[in-house]
Amino acid sequence: MATIDTTAEIASPHSDWLDKLDRWCARTGDRINPILVKETRQSLKSRQFVVTFSMILFAALAWTIAGSLSMMPQIYTTPSAPRMMIGYYAVLALPMLMVVPIAAYRSLEAEIDDGTLELLSITALSPWQIVLGKLGSASLQMLLYFVTLFPCLAYAYSLRGVDLPTTLLIVASLGVAGLLLTVVGLFFAPTARGRSGRVSALLALIFLLVLAEYAMGAMVFGMIFYGNPLSQSELLFYVVASTAVAFSLGHLMLTSTAAQLTPETENRSTAVRLSLLAFTTVCVSTIALAVLVLRSSGLPIYFFGMFVIAGVWTFCGALMVGERSTITPRIRRELPSSFLGRLVLTWLTPGPTTGLVFTIIVLSILTVMQQASLSWISRSGIARGIYSSQLRRFFGQPALLFVAYLISFLVIVRLLMYVIRLRNNPRVELGLAALVVVALMAALIPYSMQLHYNDYQPLTYDPKWQMTNWAFTMASALERRLPPNIISNVVGAAVGLGTIAILAAWKTTRPRRTATPERVLQELEKKPQGLSEQSAS
Amino acid sequence: MIAVHSSGSDCIELRRLHRFFGDTKAVNDVTFSVGRGQVFGYIGPNGAGKTTSMRILATLDLPSYGDAYVDGFSVVNDPELVRKRLGFMPDAFGTYRDVNCSEYLDFFARAYGLVGRHRSQRLQWVLNFTGTEGMANKPIRGLSKGMKQRLCLGRALIHDPAVLILDEPAAGLDPRARIELRQMIRQLADRGKTILISSHILTELAEVCDSVAIIEQGQLLATGSVDQIQAERQNQLELTMRILNRQDDVIEALKGFGESVLMDNAIIDGQFIRFGFGGDMSAQAALVTHLVNSGFEVAEVRAEKKSLEDVFLQVTEGLVQ
Repeated sequence: MATIDTTAEIASPHSDWLDKLDRWCARTGDRINPILVKETRQSLKSRQFVVTFSMILFAALAWTIAGSLSMMPQIYTTPSAPRMMIGYYAVLALPMLMVVPIAAYRSLEAEIDDGTLELLSITALSPWQIVLGKLGSASLQMLLYFVTLFPCLAYAYSLRGVDLPTTLLIVASLGVAGLLLTVVGLFFAPTARGRSGRVSALLALIFLLVLAEYAMGAMVFGMIFYGNPLSQSELLFYVVASTAVAFSLGHLMLTSTAAQLTPETENRSTAVRLSLLAFTTVCVSTIALAVLVLRSSGLPIYFFGMFVIAGVWTFCGALMVGERSTITPRIRRELPSSFLGRLVLTWLTPGPTTGLVFTIIVLSILTVMQQASLSWISRSGIARGIYSSQLRRFFGQPALLFVAYLISFLVIVRLLMYVIRLRNNPRVELGLAALVVVALMAALIPYSMQLHYNDYQPLTYDPKWQMTNWAFTMASALERRLPPNIISNVVGAAVGLGTIAILAAWKTTRPRRTATPERVLQELEKKPQGLSEQSAS
Repeated sequence: MIAVHSSGSDCIELRRLHRFFGDTKAVNDVTFSVGRGQVFGYIGPNGAGKTTSMRILATLDLPSYGDAYVDGFSVVNDPELVRKRLGFMPDAFGTYRDVNCSEYLDFFARAYGLVGRHRSQRLQWVLNFTGTEGMANKPIRGLSKGMKQRLCLGRALIHDPAVLILDEPAAGLDPRARIELRQMIRQLADRGKTILISSHILTELAEVCDSVAIIEQGQLLATGSVDQIQAERQNQLELTMRILNRQDDVIEALKGFGESVLMDNAIIDGQFIRFGFGGDMSAQAALVTHLVNSGFEVAEVRAEKKSLEDVFLQVTEGLVQ
């Protein structure tokens, strides 16, 4: 019996390029992060997305009608965009700065709670892929929300009163802030353990999100109602600097999140340390650029930047000192092999000793740069008169003292953690707790003792008692009532302790790289299943 | 070159495995190996250390001391190579909301790096094998426990691993689902998969396993084939006799027979007496002759071979940590 090949007839004219397109789509689909595929499928079907999307549509429509009617008939004659834009901003900001970051937090938290993260961790997916997949899915949701509201923003722009650069700047800021807050949400998810820990983490995240919502709102209100007060070069600086800082901070937080999801045997530290270095470099560059480009109006960025760097290094330094000292066979395979490599790169390998030396070296370099920049700012006339003296007052001696105390306390924390780790295996966060305890003890004990011997009368700074009391010493430095030799004593002590720590760390450069077995190398070189077959086709 | 992988043809090997949680020794010096294509039962009361050992094998936890190997690769040094060869089914389902069965399996196939036609072929095979083909487009949340368990087995099989680790796969399943699961395990073993399975339903393990290991308080108490362990415990064979006269004197007479009679847990119920016996068939015949010569009227003798459950109860003491 004769049969008709219908497929051949249908496929003939365009089948070739359609097949190619189909194969290309399939290949591209295979390269997409599986987490992104799963999360997108999941989130687009979720009730949270449906409700949020419907609410955005309804709120945008309601505001378009209500806002337009409330401005009738002036809407035809006077610029009415600011009022409409504020409404649309409010509609868009809530899901982008609140709903999506919390959804990302919940998504990663649910993976941990439901045990699916463990199932993922035994697949070929890396922690970075897991985190990036979650971020990608959140970005897609944000894009969808933005696309939904795009006609409304275009409508508001057509009403005149807000120029195109301002509109674009608002949208871009919202996008960057939304992404950064989503990264913050992901960062918070694995930090807390247990029910109370999770509740605390969620509350802290909500507090941060509300704060960010408020700050963004204030900025957008200002831009819409008062226009853009910045010159072109200032605007360029702020756009570039804030993007670079947001990107490097986001990278640091994502790396830290991925590190928290990485098994103990793997190297969790090096990537975080490199990312921390990159973030510090971006911050220092931003501060330098602010002073160079914006001159005296860049000094607030100088102040703020100093506090950020000090805070980040205090936090990260304590965590690094709290790390486990065991170098697993996995990590040994990645150790630098040459003498120069061991000398320079050992400080990036995991461990509390390398972490302490890394922190001491970076803090020392930063302090030298900070003190030099302070002197340059005063000499170059960027800060004049009382401004210059205030700058020296806040960032001269107190900054030097802060770093000296931090280094000394970190050395003590390292010793404490060594003793604690002899019989226990606590989390790295204990390093932070230990630093807080050491700092409190160093301040409270001498203060209480002097107070007692002084019959509980008001105290004056006595270097004999209060040299370890960082709070009293720094407050006295701010008031310029510090005896002349106290700074050299504190800095000298820090230099001494730091030098001992570095000398004692010499043996950490000794472990040699171990060879990866031949069979393991062969296995690692094998292609994933199906890949060879696909490339052949 | 430094050799870090184990030698030999064993597919799974635990070597002096220890895992401590503070003062608790969850796994304490456990050593055993499982040959290629074997179904190996891991038996122990709750808190014995089964799940901890399995989690270490699945590279989800680290040993405090010792190592475990899958296909010769260390779980400590080369976990990514172990993961390629291993399918793990934990006691919790680990499923997602708002995802259907085929999407769930497709996601894990992608996560294991399967691409292109190979992925769709594996997906189809797994759906067929686990009998979830009809449920492919149904959301997971609507599935019964048995179907979820099949789906999770499918997830563990999606990348065609050589080794399967199944932690309590039959827990909470109805009899039909248990039988079907047992059949699937047997089919997988016939296809050359090495399977380590833990369960509390010991009769099930006896039917499906080639070998078993009994663990309690983190320590390995017995290991070998079910018959081997039963044979080793033959000295605890249970003998029931019906004595028609002088029941009060029978204990003394039995004690007089020798060491093979174990009267520690002897039970006398009217004319019946049940006691442990450590001898073979000829020793049983000699015992009957001894009793008859001593003037007892022996009407019935019944020897009962111990089930895996009895062996388990005998070996373990019901201690938990």
